[in-house]
Amino acid sequence: MIQVEQLTKVYGSTTAIDHLDFTIERGEIVGFLGPNGAGKSTTMRILAGALGATEGRAMVGGIDVFREPKKVKRLVGYLPEVPPLYVDMTVRDFLRFCGRVKGAESVRERVDQLIERVGLAPVSHRLIDHLSKGYRQRVGIAQALVHRPQVLILDEPASGLDPAQRVEIRQLVEELAQGDVTVILSTHVLPEVEAICDRVIVIDRGRIVASDRLDALSRAGTRIRLTVARPDEPLMAELNALDGVVSVESLGGGQLRVTADADVREAVARAAVSRGLLELGGTQGLEEVYLQLTGGEA
Amino acid sequence: MNVLHIAWRELRSIFHTPVGWLVLGGYLFVTGVFWVYMVENYVLQSQDLVYNPYAASQLTLEDYLLEPFFGNCAVVLLMILPGVSMRLFSEEFRQHTMELLLTSPVSTAEIVLGKFFGALGFVGVLLLTSLHYPIALLQWGTPEPGVLLGGYLGLLLMSGALLAMGMLFSSLTSNQIVAMVLAFAASLSLFVLDWGAESPDDWNHKLALAPHLSDMLQGALKVSDIAYFVLFGAFCLFATHQRLESYRWS
Repeated sequence: MIQVEQLTKVYGSTTAIDHLDFTIERGEIVGFLGPNGAGKSTTMRILAGALGATEGRAMVGGIDVFREPKKVKRLVGYLPEVPPLYVDMTVRDFLRFCGRVKGAESVRERVDQLIERVGLAPVSHRLIDHLSKGYRQRVGIAQALVHRPQVLILDEPASGLDPAQRVEIRQLVEELAQGDVTVILSTHVLPEVEAICDRVIVIDRGRIVASDRLDALSRAGTRIRLTVARPDEPLMAELNALDGVVSVESLGGGQLRVTADADVREAVARAAVSRGLLELGGTQGLEEVYLQLTGGEA
Repeated sequence: MNVLHIAWRELRSIFHTPVGWLVLGGYLFVTGVFWVYMVENYVLQSQDLVYNPYAASQLTLEDYLLEPFFGNCAVVLLMILPGVSMRLFSEEFRQHTMELLLTSPVSTAEIVLGKFFGALGFVGVLLLTSLHYPIALLQWGTPEPGVLLGGYLGLLLMSGALLAMGMLFSSLTSNQIVAMVLAFAASLSLFVLDWGAESPDDWNHKLALAPHLSDMLQGALKVSDIAYFVLFGAFCLFATHQRLESYRWS
C-alpha cells in the first residue's frame, strides 16, 4: 500500500530524514518509533502531502505522492501532532467542512455517523474552542476519517489522553485495520505499540535502525542481570555458549549481565544455580530494543 | 467548488470573531458620521446659494456629496481592511490548521482564491449594509447612477486589491499584528504615492492608488483603472500562491 524509496528531506543544513526505504502492506498497523526529532513526523507529513521531499520517491496505493498529490490525498487521512482544528466552529460544522474539502460522499450522513462512532455526540453542537483535550483529539481523528481513507496516518494519536481514552483510540484503530485500512502511527508510548502494531519501524536521526515484526523485535532485546555467590570462568563460558546469548559481562561483586537476542532466562537460571544463584532479574521487550537501537541507556 | 467551500468557511469565520463585527460596526458608524455631516454641509451650502442660480447649478449631488463621501469611505476601508486580511493565513499558521488544507485534495490556488473571495465577501457585506445612504438619497434627489455604480465598484475593486496585498503579508508571518502593520503601511504608502508627482505622467502618479480610484468615484469607468486594481490584486494573489508553495517545499 505504501512504498517509500530513498526518501530524503533536508531543511537548510539539517537532514531530517536520510534515504529511508520501507514498504507497508494493505491492512497493516505499523508503529513509527524513535526519539524526538528522529524524523517520524517529517516522514508522515511527506506521506500525507503536507511537505515536499528533497529526494526520493513515495507511493501510496501505487500513486506517486509528488506527481499526483490530489489523488493521494483522497486516499490518506492524516492527524498531525497538533490536531488542525478551526476552534471558532462547532464540531459538526467543522467536520462537514472537512468532508467537503476532502471530497467525502454524502457529507451530512457521514459526519453524523462519525460523530456517533468516535463518541462526539455529547459535544457535537459545541465550539471546538470549548472542548477538552480528549474531545479535541477525537475531532482530529474524525477529521482524518471523514472521507473514508484507505490509509490513516496518525502522529501521536494518544498524546495527552487519559488511559481510558487511549484504550478507545486503540480499539478504533484496530477496528479500522480489520476493515482493510492501513494505519501508520507514531508514538512515544511503547506499550501502545506493543498492544496494537503488527510491525515496528524504529527511526533514529533520520535513518531506519530496525524494521521488523513486533515479536521478533522484542525477542531481540533480552538483558538479564544476575548475582551469583561464586562467579567463575567456567560459568562465564557456559553462559556464553548458550544459544542466543550475545555477550556476558562481569560487573564485579558477583554481578553478571547477559545480553541475548532470544529469551534465554530459563537456561541462564539453570546454569547459574550450581554457583549459588542469589538474584536474577531481567528486562525483555521492546523498550530494551528501542533503547539499544536509539543509543539510550536502560 | 473547493474555492466556494473555503470562501464560505472564511466568511463565516470572520463573523465568528469580534474583529468581524467590530470592523462592520466601526465602518457603519464612521461612514454614518461622515454622511450626516456631509449632507448637513450640502444642505447649508444650497441654502446659501438660493439667490445665486448659477452657482447653485454647479453644486451637484455628485460632485459635492457623493464623490467626497465615497472618497472618505475609501480612507476608512484603507484603515480597516488590514484588520480583515491579517488573519487569513497568520491564523492558520498559528492554529496549525494549514496542515488540514495542505493535506486535503485541494490545490494551493484553490486555497488562495477561497480565502481571498471569503474576505472579499466580507467587504461585499460591508458595502451592502451601507447601501442605505444612496437609497435615502434617492428619496429626495436624482443622483447620477454612473456615480453610484462607479463609487461602489471603485470601493470593491480597491478593497480587492488591498485585501490581496494584506493576504500576501499574512502568508509571510504567523503574527497577525505584524501582518496588519505591514498591510496598513503598504496600503497607506500606495494611496499617497502620487503626492510627490508633478504631472499625471509621472511613474508615481500612475502607480498610486488614489488617482485610479478618484476616476471611478467621478463615475468614469476606464479600462486602465479597472485593469490597475485587477492586475495589482492578481499579482498579490500569485505572490501568495508562490509563498505557500515554497512553504510546502521548504
